[in-house]
Amino acid sequence: MGNETKSNGASSLGGGGGGFRAKMEHYVYSGEKKHVLAGIGIFTVIFGIPWYLMNRGSNNHRSHQDYMEKADKARKARLSSSPSPSSDNQIHAVNDPLTQGFPCPYKHNSAMSEPVAQSFGLCLLGFILKGFYEILEAMGMASMNSSGESLKLCVFDLRRGQNEGQELDKILFFYPPDVTFSTQLSVIGLSEGLITFTRLFSPEAACEVIEAERHSHVFHEAEPDIWMVMVVEKNKEIEAIWRVDALQKVLKEVHSLFVMFHGSIRSLLDKEPSGGLIRSHLYPFITDYLNDLSVGKKLQLPSFRETLKERGTVQMLTLARDAALEVQSLVGVLDSCAGTLRCHSVILFHDLLVSTTLSPDDTVDLFTFSVMRLTSNALSSGTSSWSYLRKGTSLSQTSSKSTSPQLLVSSDSLPSGNGHDAGRVIRPLQHNKWIKGKDGFLVTDIWGKDATPTIWLHQRQERVHLLAYQQKCLTLVLLVPTEAIVNGELDISFVKHQVIENATAKILKVEEKLSKGWGGENAYHVSGYRYLLVDNDMEVSRASPSGKVATLAKETLLAVNKLRETVDTEKSRTKEEKDMEICIRAKNNAWAIARVTRGKELYMALEKASDTLLDATDSVQSFSNRYCNGTFSMD
Amino acid sequence: MFCMKEKNSATTASTLGRILATCSKQAKDYGSCVASKVHEIEKDLCLKEFLALKSCMQHTTSVGSGALSHAYIQNPSLRCNVPESRGLFYDDANRLLICVTSSQVFSWETATFNPDVSPSVDSIPEGPILSIRFSLDKKAIAVQRSDCEIQFFHRETKQTLTHKCRAGSESILGFFWSDSPLCDLAVVKTSGMDLFACDSAMNLRLVETKKVNVNWYIYTHESRLVLLASGLQCKTITGFQLSTAGVVRLPKFEMTLATTESNSKPIISPGDVHLITVYGRIYCLQVDMEAMLLHTYRFYRDAVVQQGSLPIYSSKLSVSVVDNLLLVHQIDAKVVIIYDLFVDSRAPVSAPLPLLWRGYQGSDTSSQQENEGTESSTSNENIVMYEEAWTFLVPDLILDQTNKVLWRAISASSSDRSSLLEFLQRRKLEANKAKQLCLGIARTLILERRPATQVTQAIDVLVTAYSYSVKAGIYKELKNEKTTATTPTNDGASPDNERGRASGSSIDEEEVEMNLPSGSADEQQESQLSSPAISPDELYKFVFASVEEAMVEESDYLVAIITEFLRSISAEKLKVDLNIYVMTVRLLAHSKRFAELSLFTTNKIIEPSKEVALQLLESGGQNLRVRKLGLDMLRQLSLHHEYISSLVQDGYYLEALRYAQKRKVTSVRSSLFLEAAFASNDMQHLAAILRVLSELIPGFKETSEYYTFHGLLNETSSSVAV
Repeated sequence: MGNETKSNGASSLGGGGGGFRAKMEHYVYSGEKKHVLAGIGIFTVIFGIPWYLMNRGSNNHRSHQDYMEKADKARKARLSSSPSPSSDNQIHAVNDPLTQGFPCPYKHNSAMSEPVAQSFGLCLLGFILKGFYEILEAMGMASMNSSGESLKLCVFDLRRGQNEGQELDKILFFYPPDVTFSTQLSVIGLSEGLITFTRLFSPEAACEVIEAERHSHVFHEAEPDIWMVMVVEKNKEIEAIWRVDALQKVLKEVHSLFVMFHGSIRSLLDKEPSGGLIRSHLYPFITDYLNDLSVGKKLQLPSFRETLKERGTVQMLTLARDAALEVQSLVGVLDSCAGTLRCHSVILFHDLLVSTTLSPDDTVDLFTFSVMRLTSNALSSGTSSWSYLRKGTSLSQTSSKSTSPQLLVSSDSLPSGNGHDAGRVIRPLQHNKWIKGKDGFLVTDIWGKDATPTIWLHQRQERVHLLAYQQKCLTLVLLVPTEAIVNGELDISFVKHQVIENATAKILKVEEKLSKGWGGENAYHVSGYRYLLVDNDMEVSRASPSGKVATLAKETLLAVNKLRETVDTEKSRTKEEKDMEICIRAKNNAWAIARVTRGKELYMALEKASDTLLDATDSVQSFSNRYCNGTFSMD
Repeated sequence: MFCMKEKNSATTASTLGRILATCSKQAKDYGSCVASKVHEIEKDLCLKEFLALKSCMQHTTSVGSGALSHAYIQNPSLRCNVPESRGLFYDDANRLLICVTSSQVFSWETATFNPDVSPSVDSIPEGPILSIRFSLDKKAIAVQRSDCEIQFFHRETKQTLTHKCRAGSESILGFFWSDSPLCDLAVVKTSGMDLFACDSAMNLRLVETKKVNVNWYIYTHESRLVLLASGLQCKTITGFQLSTAGVVRLPKFEMTLATTESNSKPIISPGDVHLITVYGRIYCLQVDMEAMLLHTYRFYRDAVVQQGSLPIYSSKLSVSVVDNLLLVHQIDAKVVIIYDLFVDSRAPVSAPLPLLWRGYQGSDTSSQQENEGTESSTSNENIVMYEEAWTFLVPDLILDQTNKVLWRAISASSSDRSSLLEFLQRRKLEANKAKQLCLGIARTLILERRPATQVTQAIDVLVTAYSYSVKAGIYKELKNEKTTATTPTNDGASPDNERGRASGSSIDEEEVEMNLPSGSADEQQESQLSSPAISPDELYKFVFASVEEAMVEESDYLVAIITEFLRSISAEKLKVDLNIYVMTVRLLAHSKRFAELSLFTTNKIIEPSKEVALQLLESGGQNLRVRKLGLDMLRQLSLHHEYISSLVQDGYYLEALRYAQKRKVTSVRSSLFLEAAFASNDMQHLAAILRVLSELIPGFKETSEYYTFHGLLNETSSSVAV
């Protein structure tokens, strides 16, 4: 049956939207000669023009250094808000600083699912682009490699800096912050060029990823015309094998967390069109976020080692019915803690979600934040967590940089970010800022002294106050609508009082009940299986504990990584939910199996070398019956 | 009865709330009438509805301020007008009211209180009568003639026997019959208590003598307990229980008496000590006039423990017990205060209110006039509450010596809601009424949107009570009773309802005794509903289902309440009607709380069932996730037919067919798949389906469907072979 569906997927390809990848495949892979030829024609035309312009421009300035000086001058001029001197050609030239060759991008899965003719089409395209890139490389844009950073992350707004000479205006954030403007512009220029180009084929969903020989460019359109691009270096180490979707999820996560605390990027831009406000917010925020990814001196991106994990989902605690009823009863009390206006609440136990009254999207954001900063494990930082959201935290790396935010803080005074302290930028992701108070509530001075944090709820578009209460391993996040808080801290303390008065007994009861049923970190380990279960509808996932996943051989993990990539590709081809089953035999004879059915995904690694495919599917079947209510039963 | 008079009626909000709760129907009617005619407003529009609302409101407010009482004396009373009556006696062992003339004994049965009961008449020889008691088999009458002589008369054989004690050295204080195996008769003398066995020929045989110096004694047959007081102040009490298990001597104990500045030593009189039985426990109440306290002692088998004191507000005081409640009559103040000794707090259950009549209309004089016409000999005007001559008979009878009227007190009560419910659930008296009230109260609580904690408490009380009664085996499901007897009333609060119901309901008095296994089991079965306990199903049906419509806009609140209800039920390991889950799904979907809905479903708070699954599918019209939850539930319940139909309906005909093939389900119409495939315009699929179906269903190739679709297939694409 798996085969049958897959063939369906291929045949109904043209129907779906599915982003650039799908579109390009439609044109290039359709196997029809005229499409391939048309594609080549378009490519030539599109890239020919900037190439021509570029070549012309490169004649104008003799050296790279020369250019850099001018760019800096231009930026300073802009920041002091005087009309910028026109320097059209130079800036134009940096639009496409492509530094890498461009091999066949679909090398990962080309052997598996795509017919030879299709890969031929794409390789042809790749060949054209490669030639184009090589020329650019020859231009001496070597600065990108000099910084030594394996990761570049930028946020830019396509609506800004439309005029020549104001290109720097586009840049809202760039990491690492100490690279020169020219490098920044070159990365952003390339990204912009690719976006513009791919939009020709797929106007709704442009570029998702460009795989070059030494770099992957991962794109995410966070808000209309606001793009986040991550450039990761593919070094020779084997560890640097990513799954594009996993990288994209990182971008999505950082953006949605940002929106939760500060509102959308666009709204901040509208508030202060000069862009100083958004820059001053984005800089500390993303830096703080990236801190969490760093291990030692290096940023560690979700590599294939984390392939049996799903970012942007919630991990739930399984509850017995009586415990669930107790929890729900507690939720009922919390709901009514602020009088007539209903409060929302999210309850966590250890790093697992117990209950939520928010929409899945908001839940994911708040859950992510709570696991990062609020839960008992997060508070007692230093102890390594098994949640992927929190690695060992080393502040050394970025804290030194954050002392010199010369790029981001402009001279003009910043309007207040959160409505509290004028000129102060709130850094919600700062480390070690939450302490458990005497009354059980968690307190922080991030939002100012005695100020209560506020966040945005995406679904209802309302601002709420965030109160966190902790009882041993139980963390309650209470969200009080701002309308309910009229008298500021007075009302907040009233709500706190209400919680303590009405809910303490229930909290203790719930804590006791959950602790009793708590199976430890390995509670969801199923012996013999290494699995990942994703429910895309509820944005919930469950996986084998990372300690157990670590026992898998590298080959197995790579196979699973590959498998996941295949599924990602299949999914992006069509919006419709399809059933599918894919089995891959790894080099070490392990099985990597994926089953997808109606919004639910199951990935599994089975490392019994003797197993036949039949044995493997039987194992999956019994797993599905026992732990997933038979959701993934196929025949 | 059970008037919902708010204690702090000063708060107008609560009054208004009550009005709105009581008159919700009228208010709604009026509102909808105005709303429907909003464009043609004119005078006297919706007059009818307005008048209804107005009268309802006036009625409610007048109830709030008007004459109210918690305790009523039941009217009509038992009248025992006998010419030349020498005195009235009450035989508590047999529950007989006895009126004597010089040679005759009239006795009325009071066990089943009926004012029209006719007395039985016995003749006895003339002589002074100090006290009179029938033997427990009612075959003999014992009469104390003097302080040293008791006479016995056999009612059938007319045999007479006289028992005398040594004159001078001791005197008889009294006597009583006993049902203990040891003795039949106990005679209390100043020197102690003699226990006699009595045979059928009425020969008395002395069994045992308890030597105590006795000043006075009290005995109630209900408790089988006799207290003998001795000492200068009569403070030292010796107690014996003459129960069916034998004679038990209770430890001697001293009553507490406050000492005053003056050196006068108060003496406890028998009228200051009351023995009462509530909830099967025996208490002794002792009046301490100096301290103005009513001390309570509880009797255990081997100890007497002082339990605390109740305040006294009157120099004269009496108690009665109605349905395990203690009614303390503050006679000078002419009020009655009700206590429930079961709860630990010594706070009264109700505010002090006067004793009132039940049976005629409140304090309204005009209606009193009407009633007078029907009253026969004694008019009500002559009866003054708490007259000097009133004797309060334990447990619940009041004897008016002058007017020769016997009343039964009925207590009524009000308090805050959850303790009221708790209280009601303990009531044995008029179980059905209590049950109706409980349902009414629960409904009102929710409709008035009381804080969830309060409602939770109330629900907990009800569920625990039910669970307890199920375990105790009291609760019996009387299906017919439930459906007919329970017509939801708007509010249980108005006294009119109560009166109406009170007259109709049978009054079933229960004896709860410490040692005597209650012999009234048969009575229990006869009574309509022996316990006011409410099953979860009934709670759902009469509380939640009935408020759903009114509360649909506040479903958050209702869901919170239902959660508490479910929690309470699950804590007691009870089951509830599946429809409550369907309702929860509906409410959650209505308020668009889909995340919680899926939490509820995955955590099995909403127990899976076909009905729930179908409701999920229906609510899933707005939200695909919810629909999937419903589908999953169908699959998990192995409801193949529904599952496949829903899948096809959603357009997943291939999956559906695959499932059908695997489970060998043939009940789904094959045309469903074919039509779905044809609609999707995918001829490959159509062909595949045709082939699978012809394998799955024997003889499918002969059906007309096969021909139709096969033909269609051939028409559209000749290249696809089947």
